[in-house]
Amino acid sequence: MNWDLPSTGVVFKSVRKLNPVQFFNLNVLDLFVLITLGRGFFDKRVKPILLHSHTRPLTQLKFNKEGDLLFSSGKDISWHVWRTSNGEKLGSYDGHSGSVWCVDISADTTLAVSGSGDTTCKVWDTEKGTIIHNLTASTPVRTVNFKNDKHIITITTDATMGKPCEILTYDLRDENSLKDGIKFFRTDSQPLNSNNKVTAAIYVAYDDLYLTSHLNGEVTQWRAATGEKLRSSCVHTNQINSIQKSTDEDFIVTASKDTTAKLLDVWLLEVVKEYKTPQAVNSASLSSLEDHVLLGGGQDSHEVTTTDTRSGKFVCRFYHKIYESEIGRVKGHFGPVNTVAFHPDGRSFASGGEDGLIRYHYFDDSYFNFKFSY
Amino acid sequence: MPVAEEVKSSWADEVELEGGSLPPPTEVLDNSLKVITEYSYNEDDKKTKIVRTYKIEKRVVSKSIALRKTWKKFGESANDKPGPNPATTIVAEDVYMQYITSKEEDNKQEDEGLDKLKALGDKNVVKCRTCSGDHWTSKCPWKDTMLAGGKVPDDKKGPAVGGPSTGTETSKPGGSKYIPPSMREGAAKRTDNLSMARRDDATAIRITNLSESTTETDLEDLVKPFGPIQKLYLAKDKQAGYCKGFAYIHFKFRNDAAKAIAMLNGHGYDHLILTVDWSKPHPN
Repeated sequence: MNWDLPSTGVVFKSVRKLNPVQFFNLNVLDLFVLITLGRGFFDKRVKPILLHSHTRPLTQLKFNKEGDLLFSSGKDISWHVWRTSNGEKLGSYDGHSGSVWCVDISADTTLAVSGSGDTTCKVWDTEKGTIIHNLTASTPVRTVNFKNDKHIITITTDATMGKPCEILTYDLRDENSLKDGIKFFRTDSQPLNSNNKVTAAIYVAYDDLYLTSHLNGEVTQWRAATGEKLRSSCVHTNQINSIQKSTDEDFIVTASKDTTAKLLDVWLLEVVKEYKTPQAVNSASLSSLEDHVLLGGGQDSHEVTTTDTRSGKFVCRFYHKIYESEIGRVKGHFGPVNTVAFHPDGRSFASGGEDGLIRYHYFDDSYFNFKFSY
Repeated sequence: MPVAEEVKSSWADEVELEGGSLPPPTEVLDNSLKVITEYSYNEDDKKTKIVRTYKIEKRVVSKSIALRKTWKKFGESANDKPGPNPATTIVAEDVYMQYITSKEEDNKQEDEGLDKLKALGDKNVVKCRTCSGDHWTSKCPWKDTMLAGGKVPDDKKGPAVGGPSTGTETSKPGGSKYIPPSMREGAAKRTDNLSMARRDDATAIRITNLSESTTETDLEDLVKPFGPIQKLYLAKDKQAGYCKGFAYIHFKFRNDAAKAIAMLNGHGYDHLILTVDWSKPHPN
């Protein structure tokens, strides 16, 4: 398609993709009470909210598409959902018997899926907290992802107990696939190196591509429809801990143990930008509002007791997406920051730490007024 | 129109309310503010009044979010009242975002600057005041001489231990390097004073083996007959105030001091025999 319109001289360089929220009718007035737990809440500077339900380190934080709910999983057996408007805990999903490594929420927020160290993957009714499907894998489930249509779930499993790392797909409409899963990516013909297990996975480019990251710092690109391996690129020198995508799904940001985070083009897997930090990066998130990247990290948890909190550098760092330099940091955690997530509107963020706490921050005016000087 | 339930008092307050005869909680709705007043007994069995002010906001949200606002709590939170449970949702301390300007880069530049200075080593920009080695002074005695390349001149090795007072090499301008006032240009008068002080020392005598009950007046009476006194110091215990057994006396003239030594050394005073000598061993 040619967007050039020579007669008027107007060139459409890009088409802005609208957030699904904007398609809804905004005609419903919803009255609710914003609760305060102290007068400070009214201050112009909003205090961070501490969400305290996990008793063990956090593993993943995820907002639903519209950003009114925040889902958190940790190494304890239940995982939780919170209202972002006031930090109220809405409920917990109880049923796993091992660490919950990963969660994902369907686009319409009706279904939630979680993968656990108890080698199961459970599909939940988001509203009631009940289990709809219980899918059993042979080894711990490391990543879970909905395809946007909420009928297909793709999981990856750990290579342990003599079993290889697998990528499996379940179709919730097909009873047969729920038993053992389908080897959607035909790992028989293109086997994954068993020493190079998948550490994070994500659907990008509106479900056209599926990306997996590996222990050795490699990112592999798969065609979502056929399971064909398209390309692979070794972008990091050490384990990649997490992948998150940009709102337009054209870029991902990888967080690696090699102390850097990198912005990658999802189609060519080329490194566009690199963000260097003094310590391992556990999680990185892209803002939809500003050109900012949020990085969370810290030293390995087994080293924590030997250093104090100042040298541990347990901070959330903000980097400028384009100029690759650090612009700010937010302290607060008593241990490494395991997972960070920008709210879909970019006006708040959540961070979850090894200390079992979730900190939820609303940005104040100073953040939005901040101008990067270069 | 889905409307979320209103916030009521927390269950903890209700439990306490059951026991006593406290006024019932009240709610006052005033435009965008809701004021809830509750009464309860505190730990000391005293009535306390708790006033909570809530701000009620109206927000326009999409249908799907509004629908989710009516979701009931479930799982661990099934028994929670509407609104945040203080056990799980805590308002934390203020944490300000630290914006990073060029602070860290400045630090880097300083380091680079130091390296540059060291590169200019021949010009002795980085130089120890004690041994003029290739390092900052910082309680030198040839701090890392061996490591720094052993540039220490032999003639300075011996006497230099005494500290920075010996050499004049210190007066070389070292940029912003700190130079003690006594070492600065125009401090010549001061050095004169120093030599004066030394001359003073030449007239000072030390008296030891004084009894504990000795006072300054006693001492003055003792030494006055020999000549005029410049300064008199009696060592005393700070707390108890008794004499520690020795004293220094500065005479105006050296002759008087010599006389005093000759007379008082071995002199019996208050049941003790005094020892008197020059305060410093005399070169002669």
